[in-house]
Amino acid sequence: MESAVMPRWLRAGIVVLVGLVLHTSVFPQLRIAEVRPDVMLLLAVLGGLAAGPQVGAVFGFACGLAVDLLLQTPLGLSALTFSLIGYGVGAFQGVLLRSALWLTPAVAAAASAIGVLAFALVGAVLGQAHLITPTVFSVMALVAVLNAVLALPAARAVTWALQEDDPT
Amino acid sequence: MAVSRRGARPRFTLLLLVLTSVTLLTLDFRGGDGALSGFRSGAREVLSPLQGIAGAVTRPLGDIVQGVIHRGDLEAENAQLRAQLEEARGAAAEAEDAQRERRALLDIQDLEFAGDIPNVPARVISSTPSNFELAVVIDRGTDHGIAENMPVVSGAGLVGRITEVSSNRSVVRLLTDLTFSVGVRFTSSGDVGVATGRGRNDPMRVDLVDAATAVGRHELVVTSGLQQSAYPAGSPVGRVDSAKSVPGEDEKRVTVRPLVDLKRLAFVKVLQWSPS
Repeated sequence: MESAVMPRWLRAGIVVLVGLVLHTSVFPQLRIAEVRPDVMLLLAVLGGLAAGPQVGAVFGFACGLAVDLLLQTPLGLSALTFSLIGYGVGAFQGVLLRSALWLTPAVAAAASAIGVLAFALVGAVLGQAHLITPTVFSVMALVAVLNAVLALPAARAVTWALQEDDPT
Repeated sequence: MAVSRRGARPRFTLLLLVLTSVTLLTLDFRGGDGALSGFRSGAREVLSPLQGIAGAVTRPLGDIVQGVIHRGDLEAENAQLRAQLEEARGAAAEAEDAQRERRALLDIQDLEFAGDIPNVPARVISSTPSNFELAVVIDRGTDHGIAENMPVVSGAGLVGRITEVSSNRSVVRLLTDLTFSVGVRFTSSGDVGVATGRGRNDPMRVDLVDAATAVGRHELVVTSGLQQSAYPAGSPVGRVDSAKSVPGEDEKRVTVRPLVDLKRLAFVKVLQWSPS
């Protein structure tokens, strides 16, 4: 399998880059009520779910930093939020007693909603008061739904990217 | 105890990441046009070709999805546009006359409006990847004479202003963005106010309008161009959507709907203008 010959950091980098391109070019066209899925947040969530808190935090940081480069909000805001989300989902994954197909979309939806709110709240604390608006709750709800729809295919990509390197 | 040791390393990693993020945030707040800004510009330049290809390939799919989602809206919009076309035909002759009058007045007063300002045509290539920012990316940058804070217009009126520039790309913050403000003037009374964006679907709010000001529904609102304004005077901004006086308040509550259809921007012009 390709993952055996490709180091984990490279696989993760490829997934982040592809995710970023899709996030900025494809998914803006698939918006509902002017809200688009937050693919980079979804990747951070799935990173925690697939690989636990430590790798989830690092992968979330990478996803956040990548999207930060294209935003006008302060550099590091998404990185901070997404690393916390990746860590949180990874810690939650550790206490899950069972694995079921529906869990991935369910966790993606819940964590995405929390991630959107966390981004707005942390941003507001850092002086981006405009991020807290009455529409933040509708953005949370729609991002949760859209990310849940995308969760299963994205989870396959993240699992491929974050599986441990073959020691041989 | 074993649990706490297992949890120590992820927590330490998280702490390092949080500290790194805070460092980046601090540098960004203090930095201005430093290395971080160059890093961002470079990332935008590198990603643009990939975005362009991916966007072009998937645009038909997006059109289908938007068509399905907004079918009802499109039918209503078609009916509204047909009605507006009839009105426009009737108003055309009147507008021609008004234009002649306006040109004559300009000649008399020797004012310089947007028509004389050098401009750079640009294509809108993408929107910013956030549900919280209303901005688009255009395919022109410093190599074409664009600088930060330059006003951006389309055929219908003001679109926004340049907030970030790299050599071949610029970010245009749209006038509906929550952080956007522009000084405006009501064309009938000449009174001025400050219009502020309130998001994609809501009309702009106009503050500082005296309660005694007569404001007509659908009245045209243009940039005021007062001293040190970031926008040249006379650029159309929008039409009055609502105006009401509230007893006991000094200011009138006015909202303005932008003239430009910001959801379907394809081409814009960047005015090479700065307040002097």
